[in-house]
Amino acid sequence: MSAVDLLNLLIAALLQAGVYAAMSVGMTIIYGVMKIVNLAHAGFLMLGAYFVYELYARFHIDPLLGVLLAFPVFFLIGMSVHWVLVRRIPTSDQPTLTSLLLLFGLWLVLQNLGYVVWGNSDRAILTPRTLDVLQIGPISFPTVRLVVFGAALTSLGSLEFVLHKTWFGRAVRALMQNSDAGRIVGVNVERTARVAFGVGIAFAGAAGGLLAMIYSFSPDFGGPFLLRSFVVIVMGGLESFAGVAVGSVILAVVETFCILVLPANYQPAIAFSLLVLALIVLPEGVAGLWNKRRRWA
Amino acid sequence: MNGAGKSGASARPRFAFAVAPLLLLAVLAALPAFSLGPNTVRLLFVTLVWVTISIAWNILGGFGGQVSFGFAVFYGLGAYTAALSVNSGVNSILSLLLAASVAVLASMLVGLPTFRLRGPYFAIATIGVSEAVRVVMTNVSMTGGASGYRIIETRPFHQLEHFYAALALAVVAVAVSMQVRHSKFGLALIAIREDEEAASDLGVNPYRTKLLAHALAAALTGSAGGVFAQYAAFIHPQGVFAFGIGVAILLMPIIGGIGTVWGPVIGAVVYGLIQEELIASFPQLHLLIYGSLLILIVLFEPAGIVGIARQIVPRLRARMEG
Amino acid sequence: MAPILSIDRVTKYFAGLTALKEVSFDLQPGGIYGLIGPNGAGKTTLLSILAGSIQPTSGTVVFQDRNVTGAKSFAMAQAGIVRTHQVPRPFRALSVLENVEVGVRFGRSQGSAGDLWDARRILEWVGIAHLADAPSVTLSVGDQKRLELARALATRPSLLLCDEVCSGLTEPETASVLRLLRKIQDAGTTILYVEHNLKAIMSVSHHVIVMNFGEKLAEGSPEAVQSDPSVIAAYIGRTA
Repeated sequence: MSAVDLLNLLIAALLQAGVYAAMSVGMTIIYGVMKIVNLAHAGFLMLGAYFVYELYARFHIDPLLGVLLAFPVFFLIGMSVHWVLVRRIPTSDQPTLTSLLLLFGLWLVLQNLGYVVWGNSDRAILTPRTLDVLQIGPISFPTVRLVVFGAALTSLGSLEFVLHKTWFGRAVRALMQNSDAGRIVGVNVERTARVAFGVGIAFAGAAGGLLAMIYSFSPDFGGPFLLRSFVVIVMGGLESFAGVAVGSVILAVVETFCILVLPANYQPAIAFSLLVLALIVLPEGVAGLWNKRRRWA
Repeated sequence: MNGAGKSGASARPRFAFAVAPLLLLAVLAALPAFSLGPNTVRLLFVTLVWVTISIAWNILGGFGGQVSFGFAVFYGLGAYTAALSVNSGVNSILSLLLAASVAVLASMLVGLPTFRLRGPYFAIATIGVSEAVRVVMTNVSMTGGASGYRIIETRPFHQLEHFYAALALAVVAVAVSMQVRHSKFGLALIAIREDEEAASDLGVNPYRTKLLAHALAAALTGSAGGVFAQYAAFIHPQGVFAFGIGVAILLMPIIGGIGTVWGPVIGAVVYGLIQEELIASFPQLHLLIYGSLLILIVLFEPAGIVGIARQIVPRLRARMEG
Repeated sequence: MAPILSIDRVTKYFAGLTALKEVSFDLQPGGIYGLIGPNGAGKTTLLSILAGSIQPTSGTVVFQDRNVTGAKSFAMAQAGIVRTHQVPRPFRALSVLENVEVGVRFGRSQGSAGDLWDARRILEWVGIAHLADAPSVTLSVGDQKRLELARALATRPSLLLCDEVCSGLTEPETASVLRLLRKIQDAGTTILYVEHNLKAIMSVSHHVIVMNFGEKLAEGSPEAVQSDPSVIAAYIGRTA
């Protein structure tokens, strides 16, 4: 394989990593603040995809704009879900049986909703952009992937900004570290949790839209991406945003290069193997390694 | 969910509760006497398979509090192992043992890396293994890939044989469940479920206990898959590894009463009966119904049917007595 | 006499924070040892390491001449070191008796020769036998603390680690628990007792270890420690 091919693959992997990061960050926020594994994440990815699709198919709204619109829409949806369902269950500093089952049930409901409204045939978003390729020297960038990567990076950057420069961001970071201490210093836990949940779902919906720009989808398309989100956040260390970035890159690189030897069908198996490997080798994820490094400093 | 009820309640209801299952067993064992049609026998067969799996899941998930979304893997692997071994000339009982063993190995693959970690890793890994195995089995040509795998019939089909196999396995499952519940092992599981750290502080080894419970549950589920495969004689990945099966497996004990001995049985029976009706009347809505059921149960009656019964029975008794 | 517990330069780092720095001391069998220090001194961290709930970054822990450094809590319990929790953690679905049963069946099966402990006798001994069949969650705070002790005792420990067993209790309840601790000591168990209530801990310990900022500051008899200027400075400095 030539250097150019290698470079192309690496760049493809990097672009993919951007999407994976945007997709997984929502789960990290929700887990970090509430210790809830959002199994319905897959359902919201799917709804986000259909949301952007419908906006494009019916109103000819550019998918990028659709993704932008998905943020506020899904933010409100997320807050409503929290208000109706999530706040009624007990939480603790360990994920609970109840939360897993509740959100799993929600995922089932969302899936069925998808089937009922859209049937189970595949859809895709095809714009002039979809087949466009940007050529820089020997490297070819599919335009749509560049655009998606840019959108992912922008949203992640905005999240960083929010986390470090706003009251909400500070409250979230406080709760992620220690919810009791956060409560003591005056953080309104329930309100912050609701907003955090909303943000998490907003990212899921928007990421779903981004994914829809690249892949075809049907109501059960959330599943494999849910698994990938798990891999990313486990490798990243469950609660670390930097970890999400690292985990996304690792997953994307492994997947991209595995396609050379295995058919694409096996990607869930690859993701799962990576998950198991990560759990054996790096139980606290990459973030755990980083924490341990400081000890030697 | 206390230990064996030693309260001073009147002895008659407890006698009834002890006799009822035996009566049911006698009725089921005498099935040929009732000359039921093959469809009814099939329904009972499938329900008995569900009973076994429901009990199995409850051992790990109900007693031990470890939620697995991946039991379809044990069911499917058990089915394929039994089918493959029968086709290789192995007798049916041995093929069930092989099915159980393969399932146990699979349970180790998931449990060994995840049970020693604090956090949601086990639950997450079970979702992952579910996806991964389904994808692999759909693509592996040796077992027929997506088109499925057929058992070569060497003997004529006797429906009752399979029915009794399922019944025997279900009885074994109930016995195992009762034994676990009232044993030291069961106490360890419950302590782990309630507070794993505190349990460990008192000398319970959570890692080993969870692995064992997982293996036990996998063995039962794998055997159930084998029993099913021998009956159906044709299995395919979308059937035995289906996402819906994984859902159903955890739904049954939750409906019936998670963490009790008879809850899973009740849940399996209810599920077995309504799912036929459901699929007939609302073919497109079963995920919606299962999901809503899960949500409602979790929010309003986490103890399921057994929980409801426990609240109603004392009130009924009070009303009857005066 | 050989110490029952000997820890040497135990250190613990948490993500950039040094919680414990080279703490060393010995405990002789049969005493009640108090472990005190201002908030954040590292007492609970040390207790957790001894109990096996967390593992030290470096240093050694030797118990009854066995190196148990880094052992997990169930292994520590099997070896004879058991803790109680500052906030009681009963097994909510189990009755009081069943809670103690967990300790009985999973702790060390051997121990003081001749005694046939069983769960009810332990409950009697601790003073809550009348609550044996009650759901553990219905107990008052004081009784829950007794249940914590009963459960721990059921494992037949040689070293009992008590974590703030008097916090949240009234004066009479505190006196009652302290009497119980002395009863436990009389029966042959060594106790290491972390407590904020200085009056309580000084009255019951025969030897006190003081920690500050993750290091051992001083140790000695309660009188000696109370009049030690560095100890006084540590407490007064902290309350500023």
